[in-house]
Amino acid sequence: MIAAQTLTLAEKQQEFMAQVLDDERALPDGWTPRHAAGMDIYRNAYRARLVDAVRDTYERTAKWVGEDAYRQAAAHHVITHPPKSWTLDHAADGFPETLRELFTNNPEVAELGWLEWAMHQAFVAADAEPMDAAKFGEVAASFAEEDWASMRLTFLPGTEQLPITHDIGKLWRALGDEQAETPEFTLEQPLHCIVWREGFKPVFMQVEQHEGHALEMMRGGASYGEMCETLIEILGEERAVAEAGAILGRWLHNGLIASVEK
Amino acid sequence: MTTSDPLTGNSVSGPFSGFGLGLRRTHYQDFLEGDVAVDFVEVISENYMVEGGNPLRILEQVRAKMPVIMHGVSMSIGSADGLDRDYLKKLKQLADRIDPLWVSDHLCWTRTSAHNSHDLLPLPYTHEALDLVCDNIDHAQNTLGRSMLFENPSSYMTFPEDEMTEWEFIAAMSMRTGCYLLLDVNNIYVSAHNHGFSAEAFLNGLPLDRVRQVHLAGHTDGEIKIDTHDQPVCDGVWDLYAKAMRKLGPVATMIERDDSIPPLPELLEELDMAAKIAERSRELEPA
Ligand SMILES: [Fe+2]
Repeated sequence: MIAAQTLTLAEKQQEFMAQVLDDERALPDGWTPRHAAGMDIYRNAYRARLVDAVRDTYERTAKWVGEDAYRQAAAHHVITHPPKSWTLDHAADGFPETLRELFTNNPEVAELGWLEWAMHQAFVAADAEPMDAAKFGEVAASFAEEDWASMRLTFLPGTEQLPITHDIGKLWRALGDEQAETPEFTLEQPLHCIVWREGFKPVFMQVEQHEGHALEMMRGGASYGEMCETLIEILGEERAVAEAGAILGRWLHNGLIASVEK
Repeated sequence: MTTSDPLTGNSVSGPFSGFGLGLRRTHYQDFLEGDVAVDFVEVISENYMVEGGNPLRILEQVRAKMPVIMHGVSMSIGSADGLDRDYLKKLKQLADRIDPLWVSDHLCWTRTSAHNSHDLLPLPYTHEALDLVCDNIDHAQNTLGRSMLFENPSSYMTFPEDEMTEWEFIAAMSMRTGCYLLLDVNNIYVSAHNHGFSAEAFLNGLPLDRVRQVHLAGHTDGEIKIDTHDQPVCDGVWDLYAKAMRKLGPVATMIERDDSIPPLPELLEELDMAAKIAERSRELEPA
């Protein structure tokens, strides 16, 4: 290895960072056991801080899998996804994927992790007033027939969704309650979990798959008309017409919609 | 013209002085509901550099009650790769929104262009590093449109290539960039022990007229002491604080506690101790 004196500061920092990230890496030339002892402190602090930061977001998931399994998973995540961003919150990004890879026999773990991640995102999402049914009614009163088909919606910042195969809502509530017993968390049919923010509080609901698809489409910029066509394919004409209205009503009632455009 | 810049001291009363605490989540309710007897609070800037939501709302409510200092941990003023534009932009947005007494960060580096350690990593004290740090400070102060404070860090190793002491580095940095100093007395104590230098030499070597704030904190003992902010301030740090306060002009003093955070009254008692020591030190002739 080249002597430290001939390295630029940038090169020294790259080497120092590599030392922090990899505790097997050979020490640079000229470093003494005293340097090694110092580096140990930086390595430990780095790992401990990130494992704790991930736990801040995934508190219930950590409780669900147990402390030892959580620590192993978080340590694995930190090694495979060393943080790049200045915000420590991002250290927790992608952890549900890591959970999916590690807990293949317990797929509810990754779903629960996703729920906690989404609620954490919603917690600090931009502030916005949801549109209520009355306000929507005012806008829609001026709609011509064809405006309904071309209507597009925007949703509250922080709105997220995921197809789920376990009742993670039940799990989430039980894990927040010291007294609660482990609930039955299988689902008879897959659902979608939707997360958004009500005032300053992140909330979620579990809805049927067709509603999840409808939301996914409209969040992606599809028109109400396109959404209705998809509902017809899934549910048949008669049910689709009733459901399209019911879904829109539910989103308004729950305060998911930020604005409407014809 | 009379301005009231708490940094330059261009006001009738001189630079801002007083005693404060860090605003931490566990004490949000105390600060929102009660009249907590502090002169200011210090917040970790990054916790509020978010789009919206409850933390920002609470910060604004506390700000309506008292002055706020923004203390950052992620500027990475010593990064050879330069400063992160997105970070500076968000920091400025928060400063414009909160109107803090001042904005501070640490003399250290935290990131390369590829990775972020989320830790305060040590700089070699070389002329190359000094030039780089001064360029970065100029960039940060110009972007923010205000002078900043930089804090001496705790460190756990020094480098074979060091060309000057930490205090010589800090003195030159402050002189060249016009930045002010945040003197962390615990960090002096910890680093003096870890690297075998004299804490008093450190104090004597600094341009003390540039110090606008003092940090006090607890650390973890060992062959290498670690800056953990998880226990009360120790006697050795109180002694060093008393010595520092005999030499310093008006400054803001605050106690940092980030782990094993006790109920607020306990921290207020510790802060009271700081106020008493400061008062006693002032009565003595400058050392
Ligand atoms: Fe400090």
